[in-house]
Amino acid sequence: MFKYFRVNSRINLKNRGLKSMVHDLFTFLVGGKAGEGVKKAGSVAAHIFSSLGRQVFQMDDYMSLIRGGHNFSVVSTSSSRITSQYIKANLVVNFDKRSSDNHINDVTKSGIVIFNSDEQENADGIGIPLSSEAEKYPMKKLMYGVGAVAILSSTIGMNKEQMNQNIKNQYPSGIENNIKFADTIYDMVKDGCQNKYPLERGVKNRPIITGNEAISLGAIAGGLDTYYGYPMTPASSILHFLAKQAENFGLAVVHAESELAVINMAIGSSFTGARSMVGTSGGGFALMTEGISLAGITETPILCVLSMRPGPATGVPTYTEQADLNFALSAGHGDFLRIVASPGTIEEAYSLTAELLDLVWKFQTPAILLTEKHLSENSMTINLNIDNAKWAEPKLYTRGDYKRYLDTDDGISPMLFPPSKEVIKWNSYEHDENGITTESAEMIAKMHDKRNKKLRKLIEHLKTQNTVNIIRGEHPTNIFTYGSTYMSLLEALKYGGLNPTIVQPIYLSPLPIWELEEFINQDNIVIEQSVTGQFASLLKEKGGLNIRSVIKRYDGRPFDPIELSIKIKEELE
Amino acid sequence: MENLKTNAEITWCPGCGNFGIFTALRNAIPKLEAKGINRKDIVITAGIGCHAKIFDYLNLSGLYGLHGRNSSNAEGMKIANPDLKIITFSGDGNGLGEGLAHTIFAAKRNQDITMILHNNSVYALTTGQYSPLTEKGWKGPSTPGGSFETPFNAISLMLEVGATFIARTFAGEITHLTDVLIQAIEHKGFSFIEVLQPAVPYHSWNEYREKVEFLEKLPETYEEAMKTAKNKHRYTLGVFYKTQRPVYHEGLYGDHNPLTKRLSRNDRITKIKQILFG
Repeated sequence: MFKYFRVNSRINLKNRGLKSMVHDLFTFLVGGKAGEGVKKAGSVAAHIFSSLGRQVFQMDDYMSLIRGGHNFSVVSTSSSRITSQYIKANLVVNFDKRSSDNHINDVTKSGIVIFNSDEQENADGIGIPLSSEAEKYPMKKLMYGVGAVAILSSTIGMNKEQMNQNIKNQYPSGIENNIKFADTIYDMVKDGCQNKYPLERGVKNRPIITGNEAISLGAIAGGLDTYYGYPMTPASSILHFLAKQAENFGLAVVHAESELAVINMAIGSSFTGARSMVGTSGGGFALMTEGISLAGITETPILCVLSMRPGPATGVPTYTEQADLNFALSAGHGDFLRIVASPGTIEEAYSLTAELLDLVWKFQTPAILLTEKHLSENSMTINLNIDNAKWAEPKLYTRGDYKRYLDTDDGISPMLFPPSKEVIKWNSYEHDENGITTESAEMIAKMHDKRNKKLRKLIEHLKTQNTVNIIRGEHPTNIFTYGSTYMSLLEALKYGGLNPTIVQPIYLSPLPIWELEEFINQDNIVIEQSVTGQFASLLKEKGGLNIRSVIKRYDGRPFDPIELSIKIKEELE
Repeated sequence: MENLKTNAEITWCPGCGNFGIFTALRNAIPKLEAKGINRKDIVITAGIGCHAKIFDYLNLSGLYGLHGRNSSNAEGMKIANPDLKIITFSGDGNGLGEGLAHTIFAAKRNQDITMILHNNSVYALTTGQYSPLTEKGWKGPSTPGGSFETPFNAISLMLEVGATFIARTFAGEITHLTDVLIQAIEHKGFSFIEVLQPAVPYHSWNEYREKVEFLEKLPETYEEAMKTAKNKHRYTLGVFYKTQRPVYHEGLYGDHNPLTKRLSRNDRITKIKQILFG
């Protein structure tokens, strides 16, 4: 699915770095009903751009339904790094009237709009009889996407031969019909589209992956053995990807009956020494919290991916938000060490997942990889250092009488797994060093102290790691953000030509205050996707930071870099 | 047998039916060892309740989990390392109340684990409330006017949802209990044993002894087993059903073992590169 797109990938090195990013930007938007191949057309566009050596960011906006409704895909491309979609597109292809109405303002000044003239008469743009042309083929609905690719191919200056090669590769069923249809549409839009936006080639072919694919691959690289999930958008595609890859990597991937089962099965697997991960969104995570607490007292290494969507409750399943931060930070009853970290980019999602898997095994405690729909389900060309992933290794028992909860200087007890002649007891009740239930006052306090010691050791360890990304700028104001909003921010600053210092804490618990001290009394603003400003509160309360203002978005949509750059500019002035 | 006992203080009530289960299990394990099942391969899980105290007393490795989640823990262990022999302990409230879905799904999947359901027909540890197996009319602190729900029939329920070894036995019949435990643990697939065990503050041994009877023979078909489970009363002891069907972990990954046959880091990295770069 995200293999290199090999066709038409001759690279013209003469063009290396010639144009500025903004000038070089091109955005393609395609919209229609669910079931019409909208997302597929978007990802084919992304692959065409990447085959030109260009970089890509693709956002899929879809509703919580199977057929009908309105879905759209926005693919932005540049010959340099791009970390966000731009909602204003140079080419908009609407399969139906609803799409035309929805995206009436989502086109650049000189942009091209294509509408389906079988569905509406007097719209702005170029009308083509998409439905009646598609009607001539047996797989009518599947032709729409092929048509969109033909329109795009013409617009970016591809000849028919190049286009047909792409169609052949990307739409392998019914190739002849697809090519015939693409040729018809290509000819129809010739006057309005042909070579209107010739795209410059970039320098390197890069794979395109989604955030959830990055998380899955990072987990595998870090040593994952078992994954448990219950379908919930936007985390489901981790379950799907890993299920598909299970045999290839020798994993056990299980769709269980509920998130309660998911977390408790995963803990059972960890008991045997298997590196285990679970994934869900807010509602499923609510059910898992009893298991997070169980992992706390049993000192179970377990990694939980929490991909946020707008809440509370069912909220808005297929959109994005950052409102589960507080919930993640305090998930599970009782005092215990929870590690919470959030990747800023899709590349970081890969390395951080492996890193957290390692940390949970080193420190025998649960960790939450906090992310959002915006990272989970969107995709981009990546620059990934695959070999650098951490490998999860616990401290292992060597000899002597085995005690599961041996009290050590750093609170970390050496691990041992069955089968073993030594008896290994993990216990959800408060317990003694052997794992036997206790109600002794002395032992209760001792075990609290033992587990609490791990925090000190963890902080010591994290001080040697990269826990905050800081990009130094020249403007006196600092901008704080976290998670995938970091990608939106990077693009907005690039677009607006702004250069404040950017601070993106990767770790949120423990918050790396040792890295933030220098900013405490400076002029700081925060950008996040939460109506109450949870991240800003965390920075104030835990980091003691002075925060002047918070730029928020909480309508389920990610920031658009143009709009965000305007807001930042206002704040910086 | 004694080294199967830890030094933990036993806090069951004197005369509790749980002692019978504890004894029978300590009888069964050496016999299983003689049949080639390694003690170090046996792993136990327990929920929360009086049944679960057995976790502290048995000198076997395992995980003392949350109320109702013991079978999920057990499933996760078996899935990660199918070489292990997993026994999960449950009470009637634990396994058929809080954990009902997990019990049913473990049976549906025919997970190769053994569930021992300690049936005392009451929430004993929380002071005597009615349970999913309590007979109508029970006046507990949460049902002062008498419970009016019809109890589950654990045997027919397990037949319906797919368990492949189903038996009822009694904590007062140690020989029968030991024999059934051995059969269940040896069985490949989900084996379910309901053990009648009086919680003495609420029920007397005599209430049980007066009523228990034994099945004459193992019912030959599923239909016969279902008929027997439904027609006989709740104190009928014996193996109700025994069959073979594919177990979950083999359906999931054949004869693989995710833990003992795990891929090296290098192999993983190489395969990831293949996925990304072809």
